[in-house]
Amino acid sequence: MPTLTVPLSAAPRPLPPIPWRRMAWVTWRQHRVAMGAASAVLGGLALYLWLTGRQTHHAWAVVSACHPASSSICTRSRNDFNTSYVPNAVAAVVMMQLAPALVGAFTGAPILGREFETGTFRYVWTQGMGRRRWALGKLVPLALALGAMAGACSALFSWYYQPFFSDSFQTPLAPVLFGLRGVAFTAWTLAAFSTGAFAGALLRRVVPAVVATLVTYAGLTLAAGLYLRQHYLAPVVSRSLDLPGAAWIIGQWYTKNGHLAFNGVQKSAVNADRLQHFCPSAPPTEALGHCLALHGYTQWTSFQPAGRFWPFQWIEGGWLLVLSTLLFAGTLWLIRRRAA
Amino acid sequence: MNVIESHGLGKCYRGTWALRECSVAIPSDHVVALVGPNGSGKSTLLNLVVGLAAPTVGTLAVLDGITPGSPEALDAIAFVAQDTPLYRNLSASETLRLAQSLNRHFDRISAEARLAELGIPLKWKAGKLSGGQQAQLALTLALARRPRLLVLDEPVARLDPLARSDFMATVLQAVSDDGVSVVLSSHVLTDLERVADYIILLRDGGVQLAGEVDALLDSHRVLTGPTVEAECYSDHPVIHAQSGRTQTHLLVRATATNPVPAGWETHRVGLEELTLAYLREPGASALPGPSRAVSSERPNEVRCPR
Amino acid sequence: MQTAAATTETGSPITFRLDRGSGVPTYLQLVHQVEHALRLGYLGPGDRLPRVKDVVASLVINPNTVLKAYRELETKGLTVGKPGQGTFIHPSVRPVALPELTDLRRTLVDWLTTAERVGLDEDGVVALFASVMREHLERPDGPHIGEDGTRTGAEDVA
Repeated sequence: MPTLTVPLSAAPRPLPPIPWRRMAWVTWRQHRVAMGAASAVLGGLALYLWLTGRQTHHAWAVVSACHPASSSICTRSRNDFNTSYVPNAVAAVVMMQLAPALVGAFTGAPILGREFETGTFRYVWTQGMGRRRWALGKLVPLALALGAMAGACSALFSWYYQPFFSDSFQTPLAPVLFGLRGVAFTAWTLAAFSTGAFAGALLRRVVPAVVATLVTYAGLTLAAGLYLRQHYLAPVVSRSLDLPGAAWIIGQWYTKNGHLAFNGVQKSAVNADRLQHFCPSAPPTEALGHCLALHGYTQWTSFQPAGRFWPFQWIEGGWLLVLSTLLFAGTLWLIRRRAA
Repeated sequence: MNVIESHGLGKCYRGTWALRECSVAIPSDHVVALVGPNGSGKSTLLNLVVGLAAPTVGTLAVLDGITPGSPEALDAIAFVAQDTPLYRNLSASETLRLAQSLNRHFDRISAEARLAELGIPLKWKAGKLSGGQQAQLALTLALARRPRLLVLDEPVARLDPLARSDFMATVLQAVSDDGVSVVLSSHVLTDLERVADYIILLRDGGVQLAGEVDALLDSHRVLTGPTVEAECYSDHPVIHAQSGRTQTHLLVRATATNPVPAGWETHRVGLEELTLAYLREPGASALPGPSRAVSSERPNEVRCPR
Repeated sequence: MQTAAATTETGSPITFRLDRGSGVPTYLQLVHQVEHALRLGYLGPGDRLPRVKDVVASLVINPNTVLKAYRELETKGLTVGKPGQGTFIHPSVRPVALPELTDLRRTLVDWLTTAERVGLDEDGVVALFASVMREHLERPDGPHIGEDGTRTGAEDVA
């Protein structure tokens, strides 16, 4: 009879699990292209921010040192600054908005999407490592790497944008900028990555998963910026005409004698022409408020003060992290129940 | 020891029973052929055995009581899926490294020696190898794990005859040298008799035929005689009849020592002929133990219970 | 892209071939080929039969089939298995040597020529030979034929 070279195991004693570090080379080798591309995108972005940021800071230092600020020379140098450097800032903002979506989708979706598409899951899930360890051994290191790169980018971006905050008195809570700084940018990147991984596990093909991730991410950022963020903490409502600087104004409406005026609609929807009818000579909005006050109208403003930037960052980062965790858990659940 | 043991195993897949009432006890140290038409449940059964799918009803144990998909089972069973999935852009040596990383036992040295013997360059990407080379690479990966059970899903379906022969020679040498048990599925019946010593025939998700090949061939004969007499032949169960105007061949469940009617001839049955006969007769079945006919009225579109 | 040893089953004088279409069970084909090789002198006492794994590699057959054939040969008394070393032709098997075969062949041709000259046709030759052979085998001091057709006694392979 042929001799058995493998010892028979009698009682099924539990086998020691294969160490996690075995996944290191596997994850690196299979995702090095995707991670290289992500590094190129985020690294390139960081490089751009660094190089243009230095120029911007230099130029701004010159402009802000100019006294008196309202003189024509200073005003002109300020306008020159805006002409030269604001387009760069716009480009930077656009790139920062796109980066998490692209990086997350193209890195996350293939992890499971490609395995299902090519059928290689039938090979790799029947190896000794087991599918759970295999999945975690990929998802966790890739998420950490992306998170670290994203964190560096967002710190760099905050530094880059400083002059523009001083320049135009923008609120740090502005929807376009909020998600690019602090912890939010990292959290958004992780959310995109986890959405990509989940989509890949659910749809089982790479291209549809990438598309689904991009669409979902776009929807999520719009929902956060337009609806959710306003309500993280109850907005402050004030009838004062002097609002704290850099506040994020959510709504403004007018009352007269206790009743809502102008059909109660928010200020942005009020027909500017109707207001001009009352106050013909008041183009700037602050002066408009004063003018209407003279006519007996009370201006109500709901806003989020700029000081709430960091609480909002933690809230947004928090729920995004919870979402990412749920999506990872969902991915693992899909892997566990996946029938061949 | 039973390398696969199931009781009433069933798998519901997209609303239909891909496998139902499958009760088998496959002994170790055999080369088991799992045959049947396309869609008969072969891949489903194999996926259940290697832990890629979970049963809907019934029980399944491998290698004497181990649950499929558990770490012990993953460790001891090697699987080569249909179309031998490999990572196309990994080289052969990188694929070996991958296998080494993902398994407790992996004999890399013998695997590399084997690839060298086969003339498979280690630096080439797996996607650039020929079909036969890819199959041999997948088989090398599986055997280097020194499994106790090797499961192959239609391993030679897309290979040319030479590649097919080389592949099976490698499998059989592993059986001879290392005592691996093999379960392989195939819808090609030729050459199976030389390779397999245990056969399971699946049909519409149910087991129609199961047993040692020698025992099955010893317990069936072909009787050739006049058609007029064939119609009232009743000495032994007739599995399949092939009739001409004057002459009929009956495939019966009888042994070589059973008496043959006067004027009749008796022949040994080959495995291919036996299998085809059962495939043509859905109502017939030959299972170890008390024979139980598989009902042929069960429709294919049975809805799975909620 | 050739695999292991298809030609040299090292150490054994013979190699096996398989007639796939013959309908004869594989293990019987191997048994007959060994007996035939002994008859023709290709194998002699003490010669080693091909190793199981070499047969498996070259013929692509189940190892149990080879083992079954070798067991059958051992039961027939033609071979003896030495664990760890292989299966060998039994030392007391005496094959008919080739030169004797050539002589036998020559005398047979002479006999046939005589029969032909006398006027015995093919059927007559066959009938005469069969009856003489039967008498010869059934003689009292000859090899004893058992009921199941197996032969005991002299271990000549003739």
